[in-house]
Amino acid sequence: MSRKDESSVQDLLPLSPAAFHMLLLLGEGERHGYALKREMAKQTKGKLNPGPGVLYGTINKLLEQGLIVESEERPASHLDDERRRYYRITPLGRRVAQAEAVRMRQLVEMAEANLGLPEPA
Amino acid sequence: MADPLKLYKILTKLYPARFREEYGTPLQQQFSDDYRDAAGSFARLAICLRTLRDLAISIPLELARELRQDLRYSVRIYSRRPGVTFLAVAAMALAIGATTGVFSVVNALLLRSLPFRSPERIVQLGYAFSMPESVSAFHSWRSHSNYLEDAAAYSRADVNVSGAAEAVRVKLTETTFNFFNVAGSDPEIGRAFRAGEDAPGKNSVAIISHGLWQQLFGGDPRALGSTIRLNGAPLTVLGIARPGFDYPSKTAVWTPTVFDHQHIPKSGVFFFLCFGRLKSGIALAAAQTMFDADRKVIRDPANPVKLIPLREQLAGPVRSASLVLFGAVSFVLLIACSNVANLLLTRITERRKELVLRTALGASRARVVQQLITESILLTGFSALAGMLVAQWAVRIATASQPVELTAQTYTILDWRVLSFAAGLAALTGLIFGVLPASLIGRLQPAEDLVRAPSCGSNTRVQRLRSALVAVQVALTLVLLGGSIVMGRSFLKLLGADLGYQTDHVVTMSVSLSGTRYDKPSKIQYYRDALDRLRNVPGVEQAGAIDSLPLATNAFMAGQVKLASGRAIGTVIASSATPGYIGAMRSTMLFGRDFTASDQKGSEQVAIVNAEFARLAGESGTLIGKKTKSPVGDADVTIVGIARTVRYFTNPDEKPYPTMFQPSEQWPLPFMTFIARVHGKTEAYLPVCRDAIQSVDRQVPVFGVKTFDERLRENLARPRFYTTTLLFFGAFALLLAVIGIYGVVSYSIVQRTHELGVRIAIGASAERMRFLLLRQSLLPVALGAAAGIAGALGLGQFIQHLMDTAQRLDGVTCGVAAALLALIASLAVWSATQRILRLDPLEVLRAE
Repeated sequence: MSRKDESSVQDLLPLSPAAFHMLLLLGEGERHGYALKREMAKQTKGKLNPGPGVLYGTINKLLEQGLIVESEERPASHLDDERRRYYRITPLGRRVAQAEAVRMRQLVEMAEANLGLPEPA
Repeated sequence: MADPLKLYKILTKLYPARFREEYGTPLQQQFSDDYRDAAGSFARLAICLRTLRDLAISIPLELARELRQDLRYSVRIYSRRPGVTFLAVAAMALAIGATTGVFSVVNALLLRSLPFRSPERIVQLGYAFSMPESVSAFHSWRSHSNYLEDAAAYSRADVNVSGAAEAVRVKLTETTFNFFNVAGSDPEIGRAFRAGEDAPGKNSVAIISHGLWQQLFGGDPRALGSTIRLNGAPLTVLGIARPGFDYPSKTAVWTPTVFDHQHIPKSGVFFFLCFGRLKSGIALAAAQTMFDADRKVIRDPANPVKLIPLREQLAGPVRSASLVLFGAVSFVLLIACSNVANLLLTRITERRKELVLRTALGASRARVVQQLITESILLTGFSALAGMLVAQWAVRIATASQPVELTAQTYTILDWRVLSFAAGLAALTGLIFGVLPASLIGRLQPAEDLVRAPSCGSNTRVQRLRSALVAVQVALTLVLLGGSIVMGRSFLKLLGADLGYQTDHVVTMSVSLSGTRYDKPSKIQYYRDALDRLRNVPGVEQAGAIDSLPLATNAFMAGQVKLASGRAIGTVIASSATPGYIGAMRSTMLFGRDFTASDQKGSEQVAIVNAEFARLAGESGTLIGKKTKSPVGDADVTIVGIARTVRYFTNPDEKPYPTMFQPSEQWPLPFMTFIARVHGKTEAYLPVCRDAIQSVDRQVPVFGVKTFDERLRENLARPRFYTTTLLFFGAFALLLAVIGIYGVVSYSIVQRTHELGVRIAIGASAERMRFLLLRQSLLPVALGAAAGIAGALGLGQFIQHLMDTAQRLDGVTCGVAAALLALIASLAVWSATQRILRLDPLEVLRAE
């Protein structure tokens, strides 16, 4: 990765929790908006459960930043809902999500060193 | 109950256009899924509340994001045509700035709150009452009034204040004890006067203004209880008035001595004034009726006294003029608006293809309109910011030329009303410019428009609209030019008016001996010494002194004179002058002689009258040697000379005043203004002449040290301001109109290149084409001019009605202005059509 790419990745950090989660979920595979929301809510036990405005606002921003794109591919016709739009992560989106994860790991390490962390329940 | 899905659909309309177009369906679908999946009415209510919160968070975010994008795009669009952008911004900045500046004046005079309790109930009763014999008689009258809740009497004077670190000359208002109660403004520190404190023996107290407190005591609260001397009379400071309260006329000290006139030694003429607070529930008209029936009111059929509301009194002489300016500046704003609308229309037509393309690619009309409105609001917003500088400058000029009565009225643009006015103007004009082109976009038919030649269809509509805008501009410009001519003519008349004396090379300065050690005989000696020293200053040609110098005085002592012939002359100004005064003024003795050093106390009482006096007496040179009574006092005086009538003010329509001068040694007054006619640069003599008089007695302050020309300039400052402002507005409007006309013609040539090329190819000469365009372009100019002449004639009458000195505007002048405008417009058209000469028909046809 060139220095220029690196700086453009760093410029996009930190990501909002919703944006980071979306990138993580899209890292697994393509999804439509509502699916993203439902899984996000499931994984975070309802802590992240964006309303329609925030959800599509975040999607809009990620699209503008080039971190995700709308997918041309559709699921099999019996599974498809024409009104749904599917999104997939771009290589830049992947790098940004990784960089965000590295940033978080550094934070966790710092917290461990300075405060000590209890074992997860 | 309303269907939540429908309601949500309506609420999504608050999202910006692009976001709504892109995500409207998924948004509604998600809400519908969430709502459907929720089990039970409680869960559904929770979904609704959560969605409302979601809307409240996401709508502003998306609006901001889209606005950012649109702004970035707009900046790119504008920077592509820097010339047009600069022109539009400059025009709008000047127009918005000037309008805001003038509005700040109107705001200060007519809108902003005053430092009084319920100021709308305070009325000025003017010189409606003769001085009651005692303070108790006055209080008895006011407490029995059936229309006034309270009233206070006052009179004003200028006095020397000493007692603190430095001696200063300030404005004093002598009042009754209840002055502050009537005004409804208690002092900030200390207390107001109490009942009984306006009686002789108890009235050695004063309240000082906030400004004077800062100046004399540096804001030290220990000023309370300290003693200040007004023209030598000691007074104890009881209170400090609130900041901004300096009613009337920038008063710095109030004392409860209006009925004890001798308490503070003073010179000059005094008027007993009165202002009151109307009883609640009594309307001005009803109060006026009761006032007219009041037996104490002086009846003067020639000058019936009117109750003047406080705000009207404070706005006073500058009110009408400010409204005229506001009207004029609104015209300028309208012209600038139509000009910018014109420029933007050009741009929109140029960008037609781009806009059609965007529509074809799926952008909705709302999206395009949003972009266009953002562009125009960016333009006007930026112009408004630049306009604030213009407004600040306008305010500074207005302050210099039309000072306000009250510090609290000071003109400023840093007032919420003025700032909202400017923001409102920017938003309104921005919206208009955005919506106007957008209304044309509404008819874009992508499929047709992309294949159609750009010169057909709605472009004709644009062209027609632009011609209409030109006609409107021409009409408004002509109205403004008419107004400028009215004002310009009046001002020229003002400048050309013969005052009856020469103001060049004259130094003027005043002294007041009130409260000083000089009594009547020693006053004479003081003036004699002062004049001697002044005359001995090297370079001083002639010197003299008078109590009421033209251009410096607005209060006179006057009375009736009964001639031996039995004829009476009413309101003769009585003036005390020294020998040499008339010569130093370069005025003329028409008959007889000037005063001499031998016209002293004890010698024969003599007088000089002016030509107007002689005219009213029905005599001329024959008056010399005749005896008459002085207008003030009973002394018999012998007329020894007739001097030329001079003007006391600059107004050329001023009625000449009959005047009688008496030698200062026979009628010594405590207040005199010295004048010295000098060689060379007058300003250089100011300190020298002041020092010469000051050297007689250091304890007597010499003030008002100015050249006579400076006094003339000050007197002309206000009319000069109005005239130059209107001329500037007229010229600016003309410039804008020319730019507008040039733009329309240039644009129409671009639009008609094909047609012109064909015409030239089949034999028409380029010159003929130019004449054709000239004729076509002058049609809207002619239509606008016709409407403009009618408007200008109407406005001329309106200005004449508002400002007494304004001249009439006749049809001929209007016609000349219209012809001038048409000539300039023709030149603009002619130069714009120059490009036709370079038109190569073959190239044009090939390009098609």
